[in-house]
Amino acid sequence: MYQPPLDDIRSDGGLSEITLLSAIVNSSDDAIVGKTSDGMITSWNPGAARMYGYSAGEIIGQPMTTLCPPDRVGEIDEILGTIRRGERVVHFETERRRKDGTIFPASVTVSPIHDKHGRLVGASSIARDITEQRQLRAMSEFHRRAAELGRANQNLETFTHSVSHDLGAPLRAMSGYSDALLDEYGDVLGDVGRGYAERIQAAGEQMASLIEDLLKLSRILRAEMHLATVDLGAEAARIAGELQRSGPDRSVNFVIQRPVQARADHALIRTVLANLLENAWKFTSRQDEASIEFGTMPAQDVGVSCYVRDNGAGFDPAYADRLFQPFRRLHAADEFPGTGIGLAAVREIVQRHGGDAWAEGVVGEGATFHFTLNAKEMP
Amino acid sequence: MMSRSILLVEDNPDDEALTLRALKKNNILNDVTVARDGAEALGILFPTDVADAVLPGLILLDLKLPKVDGLEVLHRIRADKRTSIVPVVVLTSSKLDHDVLASYQGGANGYVRKPVKFADFADAVSTLGVFWLLLNEAAPEFMPTSD
Repeated sequence: MYQPPLDDIRSDGGLSEITLLSAIVNSSDDAIVGKTSDGMITSWNPGAARMYGYSAGEIIGQPMTTLCPPDRVGEIDEILGTIRRGERVVHFETERRRKDGTIFPASVTVSPIHDKHGRLVGASSIARDITEQRQLRAMSEFHRRAAELGRANQNLETFTHSVSHDLGAPLRAMSGYSDALLDEYGDVLGDVGRGYAERIQAAGEQMASLIEDLLKLSRILRAEMHLATVDLGAEAARIAGELQRSGPDRSVNFVIQRPVQARADHALIRTVLANLLENAWKFTSRQDEASIEFGTMPAQDVGVSCYVRDNGAGFDPAYADRLFQPFRRLHAADEFPGTGIGLAAVREIVQRHGGDAWAEGVVGEGATFHFTLNAKEMP
Repeated sequence: MMSRSILLVEDNPDDEALTLRALKKNNILNDVTVARDGAEALGILFPTDVADAVLPGLILLDLKLPKVDGLEVLHRIRADKRTSIVPVVVLTSSKLDHDVLASYQGGANGYVRKPVKFADFADAVSTLGVFWLLLNEAAPEFMPTSD
């Protein structure tokens, strides 16, 4: 590299053009590197020394690939190919490697250098460390997403409100007038007519339940998470107690592991346990000796891995994944009632806790619902 | 004077019919006056000749109303000394937190969301009627002032 004598720069304004250009190169924060057309480094400014950690003495004569992470080495040939065709590479975003092995994002501009006869004699490469720029870009993307999400939540709130408000009134009318019809004109209607009115009433109430569950699901989607240490076993036992009080004529043997400590949002995880245990309660309703178990499995790389197992109706394993989709039901409504929202809510909640939910089952031999929780504290 | 009648402020004719039916079905046979928008409700509560005014024992007030909305009606009721003592229960399908909060801040005595299932709706209406018209002790009326 050409080093102008210092007294040349300090002299009285009659700076040669080459001295001036050299001063600009030397004072640049960008890494400005000269190389031959086959990629050997020929010049190295102080900016390059700061960025890469190599002194000029160490790197001049070495190939450009020295500055690339192993998976980027191929790029150099491509860049040189472009240069040999006489074209530039402008603001190419890639990664480069420092002497200490660390890798940083860089924006690289490479231009061919021709001699006065137009022959290619080498290339100049200007690289800029864009770590900060990347971070700023990521930040602004993050803020944009957050704002978008905020708007989406707002829209969802307006939407769910109008669903509950505007769909509620006609359903209340359906339910109310079919009740009035049965009540006041039941005699005139006859058995068949009463059957029709009952179906209208049942359909209206089923839709009301669907709307209610949909609203619950949307509240779950929007709920803020407040992590605490929760004993899932104690929660499960409490829910089991409520179920037993709701159906004192049923004989269900609950086996509940305690304690099962996990970091979770209390209200949300209670919904998970309630949905799974209510599910097990419902699908064991035809079992004389029903058994429902809550416990944990050895967890691999996750916080905690739990399951709820029952010896109830079970399901065809071919449909295991459909269970978790909203409104998907594997059983006829008159066999086991339900809206098909409960398990969708379970999966949504455990996913928000960094976990997942899945199911195993065999028709007539019961079902096991697994879920993992791996909630990370927000910084 | 204050009576044991109910003022139902409701713009949806189905909800009106079902409310009346729910009351009747639960043997709450008190007189019911229906106002179908906020302006009509104010006309009933604040007639031009105050001597004609008979105050209801309970106002069931919907929030989303034509002309004058429910919160404004509530505000006017509470702002007037004569009507300020009448129990007002907001009976609406909105469960937005800010509607609930605004109703209580406006001086509502209760906030009940209309259940969609008629059996639940009938229970709610009957509970309200029984509590406010039978069980609850109404405020003594203000003595008429001499001016």
